[in-house]
Amino acid sequence: MRRTPIVITATFAGLAGVLAFHTTPAKLSLGALPGASGTVQPSAAASSGSSQRAQRAAGASSPPRSSPTAKAKPGATRTVVGPAVNYNFGVLSVSVTVSGNKITKVGIASLDDGGSQRSQFIDQQSIPILIQETLQAQSANIQGVSGASYTSAGFQQSLQAALHTLGFQ
Amino acid sequence: MGTVVTIDVYTTDATGGEDASRQLATARALLQRADAVFSTWQPHSPVSRLRRGEITCAQAPAEVSEVLEQCAVARELSGGWFDPWAMPGGIDPTGYVKGWAAQRALGAFRASGVCGAIVNAAGDIASFGDLGGGKLFRAGIADPFSPGRLAEVVYLSRAIATSGTYERGNHLIDPRSGRPAARVASASVTGPDLGLADALATAVAVAGETGLDLIEALDGYEALIIAFDGRRRWTENFPFAPHAALPLSPSVSGSGEVAPVG
Repeated sequence: MRRTPIVITATFAGLAGVLAFHTTPAKLSLGALPGASGTVQPSAAASSGSSQRAQRAAGASSPPRSSPTAKAKPGATRTVVGPAVNYNFGVLSVSVTVSGNKITKVGIASLDDGGSQRSQFIDQQSIPILIQETLQAQSANIQGVSGASYTSAGFQQSLQAALHTLGFQ
Repeated sequence: MGTVVTIDVYTTDATGGEDASRQLATARALLQRADAVFSTWQPHSPVSRLRRGEITCAQAPAEVSEVLEQCAVARELSGGWFDPWAMPGGIDPTGYVKGWAAQRALGAFRASGVCGAIVNAAGDIASFGDLGGGKLFRAGIADPFSPGRLAEVVYLSRAIATSGTYERGNHLIDPRSGRPAARVASASVTGPDLGLADALATAVAVAGETGLDLIEALDGYEALIIAFDGRRRWTENFPFAPHAALPLSPSVSGSGEVAPVG
């Protein structure tokens, strides 16, 4: 069985969210998803006819970009950059690197926040969670981790404080 | 709540994707609503106002009463080791709310044709269904002594919550003293409802082995504790899953019988 993730980043009130959508066998039309303006990339797996992989960011405000390797052979490493997303306090885009059927890296591709402390907040708090959870879940054949090992000490307090300091309502 | 929530949806056909997208909006609204009502960080949230005595429970939104009733049930089931009314600074249902909100958000996906869904609220996980074809979900339990590693893997039939001091310092309050306290490095509770599992995990982390006996007496709930010296104890039917990188069962064999922890 092949499961292929669609990673959607969204800004919740005081929450950052990721939706991963897995289909077996995948024949998902991302265009059908409200607000899904693009970044549907035939993946390595799709080229073998079994699945489709896409990545996008919710609330897209600009067209997506992707690496020239989007139509790479099965097993190849590809990096996809999602569309820039308007947050309440700035604009960012997320990059996802896939190797074969696995996400190997998740990161911030661009961040325009006007130079405030929010980039620090995003880099240090939100993104490590997404990265760790994504990688760990795949490496251990598990669908989640209970106990939040991916967070640094003081995570929740500082995250809450940061969110509210930043007007992340 | 101020936390990160991930939602995973599993389906066997494309139409599930359209449903899931609509339901994500519903789930998001539920999480937003929970945050707006229950945040103890936003000074004007109903719960913040309740804590300051500016409004009564009856004047707060209806879900506040619902949550507090469930908190009272959790307090009783936990033998008082979970007690939102004994927190410094006034009533604080946070230990129940995160799991409750995730469980509600999960409900948004239930009517759809998906074969399974998982809502993970920063390590507290609610789920229904499976990967498809009866293949069970599996969840890792974070290793309290080694960030980024797993201590165990479990079969995830409904919900699992894990509580411990390793993650954010001494945030666990012993309701009996009103002071920070935890008797184990990590406590995980599995069961049908994430709100209650969340509250019970907090209770067991504070109570230690005593808490394990409480869970053993509860239908549908199981628990695993990892002591400060790394030793495990667990209830009889804790849903351990085998994993290549981990021993089939914890470091000491036997069901629920490991040397007492110091």
